[in-house]
Amino acid sequence: MEAVYSIIPAGVLSQVFVGLSRTTILFIVASGLTLILGVLRIPNVAHGSLYMIGAFTAFTVTKLSGGGSAGFWIALVIAPLIVALISLIAERGMFQFLYEREHLMLLLLTFAFSLVFGDLVKLVWGGEYKSVPVPHIFQGFVPLFGGLPFPLYNLFLLLAGPVVAILLYLLTNKTKMGKIARAAAVDREMVGAVGINVSRVFATVFVIGCYLAGLGGVLVAPTVSVTLGMDHNLIIEAFLIVIMGGLGNIWGALLGALIFGLTQSLGILIWPKFGIIFPYLAVVVVLLFRPTGLLKSTW
Amino acid sequence: MKKSVLLSMSLLLFVGLFMVCPLTYAQNTIKVGIVDTYTGPATTFTMDVLDGFKLAVNEINAKGGVLGKKIEYTTRDEKFKPDIGLAMAKELVLKEKVDILMGTINSATALAISDFAKKEKLPFFVTFSKSEKIIGEKGHPYIFNMNENTAMVGKAAAVALAKKPYIKYWIAGDDYEYGHAIANSLWNNLKKLKPQVQKAGESWWKVGEADFTPYITQILAAKPDFIIAATGGAGMVNFQKAAKATGLSQKIPFYQHTAIELSVLKPQGQNAPEGVFGTANYFFYYPDTPSNRAFVDEFKRAYNREPRIGALSGYMTARFIAAGYKKAGKIDTEGLIKALEGMSLDSPVGPMAIRGCDHQLELPMYFGVTTKNPKYDFLVAGDVQAIQAKDYMPTCDEVLRVRK
Repeated sequence: MEAVYSIIPAGVLSQVFVGLSRTTILFIVASGLTLILGVLRIPNVAHGSLYMIGAFTAFTVTKLSGGGSAGFWIALVIAPLIVALISLIAERGMFQFLYEREHLMLLLLTFAFSLVFGDLVKLVWGGEYKSVPVPHIFQGFVPLFGGLPFPLYNLFLLLAGPVVAILLYLLTNKTKMGKIARAAAVDREMVGAVGINVSRVFATVFVIGCYLAGLGGVLVAPTVSVTLGMDHNLIIEAFLIVIMGGLGNIWGALLGALIFGLTQSLGILIWPKFGIIFPYLAVVVVLLFRPTGLLKSTW
Repeated sequence: MKKSVLLSMSLLLFVGLFMVCPLTYAQNTIKVGIVDTYTGPATTFTMDVLDGFKLAVNEINAKGGVLGKKIEYTTRDEKFKPDIGLAMAKELVLKEKVDILMGTINSATALAISDFAKKEKLPFFVTFSKSEKIIGEKGHPYIFNMNENTAMVGKAAAVALAKKPYIKYWIAGDDYEYGHAIANSLWNNLKKLKPQVQKAGESWWKVGEADFTPYITQILAAKPDFIIAATGGAGMVNFQKAAKATGLSQKIPFYQHTAIELSVLKPQGQNAPEGVFGTANYFFYYPDTPSNRAFVDEFKRAYNREPRIGALSGYMTARFIAAGYKKAGKIDTEGLIKALEGMSLDSPVGPMAIRGCDHQLELPMYFGVTTKNPKYDFLVAGDVQAIQAKDYMPTCDEVLRVRK
């Protein structure tokens, strides 16, 4: 390890890994957003609200199961499913009739949804801050990289990120549904013309995308205070990542999340007083040279 | 024939009702218009202000009101937007004809309404905005500040921290006015009280930042003696959770305003970090006096939860309004203002006065550290030290000098 530190200082390595764990959450949420954007052409502003609902549901499930660590693992399974169910109702009840509408109108509609969801969350859970405890085995930190402490939960996130990425790869590239969805993203009329039920494919993709938002919400819950307003903070970052990566491209979302997470954590190391600006600066630089995003957009 | 008579009679009654009501209102009630944020994260604090206010109003009205008039209030949700808040304040004054304005948690809204109140010559009681400009450079005779402000917080914390052995300070916070104002006030006062302190560095993150880990790991690597974390709102809990996960709370002590307050500690249960320094103006368990216990019991009976700082602020605002009119002997704005200047009332935490020169409520500030207590299933403030208003409030001179 000493040899490594002589090339890369321990502080930098530590920041890189912290940045990567942040990337995990950003990627999971942004990949859901970009999936829906690519296939259904819906700029889903309410995606952040579903992330928030995922976190709040995780809080309730954890509390109902006694507030212990087991609660978190149960929540990790159940909460994204509940979010997926909510999105299924929204898709079947509303969005499926609106796919042909203009993007601007869909943007307004999903924005309206985000306000409605926000107020519903306030009605159900109230305005107080909620907190989900870190599961027992990931509490605390380990001295890593020259003795600098690294939170165990972030190590867990570092493992969770690649797992989700691989599952998404398998889903989009190896399953029939994934292939149809990719085809529908390019030419939805043609997919319909060959006799495939496009409406059902769209519903499935929408639900999977929202499931990812819920999953992101559960995973982030132990590290933050679960509170109203967490939706709006995230949705801006998620959209920037999606735009940076190329609209509708899942691997673009991964690349965007990596750039966003790493520029943030390394920016803080370089210039902590103005650490905020680095991810946004990266967005500007990327869009200056690649206005349509880094990878191929499906639009 | 009969039917049409019935219809016209009932219509007449209906119209009559509308004509009579406003008249009776105008004559027999004191109207308070409350503009505050009742949607989104700010509700954590604003509901306490409103409930505390309601509690006092119900008490006052049950005893026959003020000078034979009942206090009545109307609320408006400004949704944390200054333009909406100002429009609502205007509507309350012009249409609802309120006698008094009250609110808000948003400093920008408070400043906008304050400007309007000054023109309309209407008293405006600020219940949760922390900007020092409200009674400072934008202050005027119609404004009353019923809670602490950033200048006061910074000075109180500096008084307490100057006694600690720390030399190398790191300053961090939410990158908005509240964060910078608290950090600046604390740092400037601390330098005055203890000239040998040094600034090791600064980090500023965006408001609503979810993940503090990269900021904290960077500060850990820089190894300061102490961190001033000027966070607000949800950032309070976020920072504490990250401090615990990264081991920061065991390695480097840090201070946050309201770190020891119920709204921050209760959600975290037993998992909140121990040993975090903080300041707050109110606890339901301290001071453990009969008057505080009585207030807590009454609040709990009415709302089934413990009161927090906002509750005290709302409660005292109503009591001061009532006492002010009573002393003035009539429902009159200028009389009320004159009566309130220098007035002292008993509060759940001891006597509290409104300072005559700038209309700032003189409330005590408590400095303490997060501690486990077997009596509660969440952490509470331990080692509490009360800082009296005279020791941490900017002097009349300092406030009035910046007023324009």
